[in-house]
Amino acid sequence: MAKPILVGAVLYDPKVSVIWDIIGEFFEQHHCPIDVVFYTNYELQVDALLKGHIDMAWNSPLAWVDAQRRSGGRCRAIAMRDTDRDRVSHIVARKGAFKTLKDLKGKTLAVGAKDSPQATLIPQGLLLRAGLTPGKDVTIRRFDLLVGKHGDHIGGELDAFKCLDSGQADACCMLDMNWDRWSGDGTINGQKYAILATTDKFDHCVFTVREDFDQATEQRWLKVLFSMSYDNPKHREMMDMEGLKKWESGRTTGFGPLSEAVDKLKFFEGRS
Amino acid sequence: MSDLRFSVRVNSRPDGRCDVRVRKRGFEVGVPLSFDSAYDGVTALEQFLGALGADLAGGLLARARKRRVEIEAIEASVEAALNNPLAYLDVVGEAGTTAIEQISARVYISSFAAEADIRMLWDEMLERSPLVNTLKAAVRLDLSFKISL
Repeated sequence: MAKPILVGAVLYDPKVSVIWDIIGEFFEQHHCPIDVVFYTNYELQVDALLKGHIDMAWNSPLAWVDAQRRSGGRCRAIAMRDTDRDRVSHIVARKGAFKTLKDLKGKTLAVGAKDSPQATLIPQGLLLRAGLTPGKDVTIRRFDLLVGKHGDHIGGELDAFKCLDSGQADACCMLDMNWDRWSGDGTINGQKYAILATTDKFDHCVFTVREDFDQATEQRWLKVLFSMSYDNPKHREMMDMEGLKKWESGRTTGFGPLSEAVDKLKFFEGRS
Repeated sequence: MSDLRFSVRVNSRPDGRCDVRVRKRGFEVGVPLSFDSAYDGVTALEQFLGALGADLAGGLLARARKRRVEIEAIEASVEAALNNPLAYLDVVGEAGTTAIEQISARVYISSFAAEADIRMLWDEMLERSPLVNTLKAAVRLDLSFKISL
């Protein structure tokens, strides 16, 4: 039996471990065993990846940017979900309240956790592009739920919307998928709220390895991963749980808006 | 301490489940703990909560029979919270333990008896319950009953 590949993942809820159990069984059945190591936050996971404690990390976009920053660009993005590609975030406000993003000057914007790419960092990058400095031109009301988990938990985004809905904020930020979901299930009243602005497209989670990760092992692992098919009912349940229809190759072209935002916001300032 | 001992024998299976033998009977226990709502066994933790619920419901019924108070049916709903369930999954960086920190049980009693009589049965039952008397020293126990007709 081949030596198991050590894969890191951050857990915000014990129920998420069930998905990894199923993925682990799938790889075992395909003679490419993996051992999943869970971390409480992405900082610890990136530490473990760079120190060689794990072979691969299921990274948030911010963890990818951090891993590249700390390794001097010596990591590789090898796979991601189809749904991780070309995401956008929306800034949502009451219908007709504002015409452009610049109208938020002097107003309050509700955001997610301070390390949420989709609900805080990238939207704040959009404000900066519009010439508005967060915290100076626009008051930021932050919902720091499960900091360290990079906004994996949607609670911060939902709290930000509730803040808008209760009249304590003038606008809020959310991922496009949450806008779609919450508009569909009645959480957001479509008659009352509208999208004021939308960020550039960005990519989300990505399987990350160090530059020196064995190429043959990587190819063996990718072959198994890419063999998952949504047309196979046995695979579909697992893919539905993980929120994808197809695994794609990793790419690094979709992290521009986040990299720009963390630079301008000096997010990593003072960190090693 | 009494010399009387209560014992069971437990044999593991390859799938992680266990067979429990007690006197001439037996039952199956699933894995210690599962976060999978579709898991097809009954975990050790769930059996533990079931045992407490049965202790409360069965104990109350036994006291009612002894006191000749009529009770039609009893249903106990038991819930537990762990200190940190992520500790069970070896999550690196998590603090806390897998200990049960709180158990709450709500017992619904269907009876025409006076509430004072039911209260007396309840207090007697709690006083005699081996599980309640053991657990109350170790866990935050929130036990209550409600009479429904």
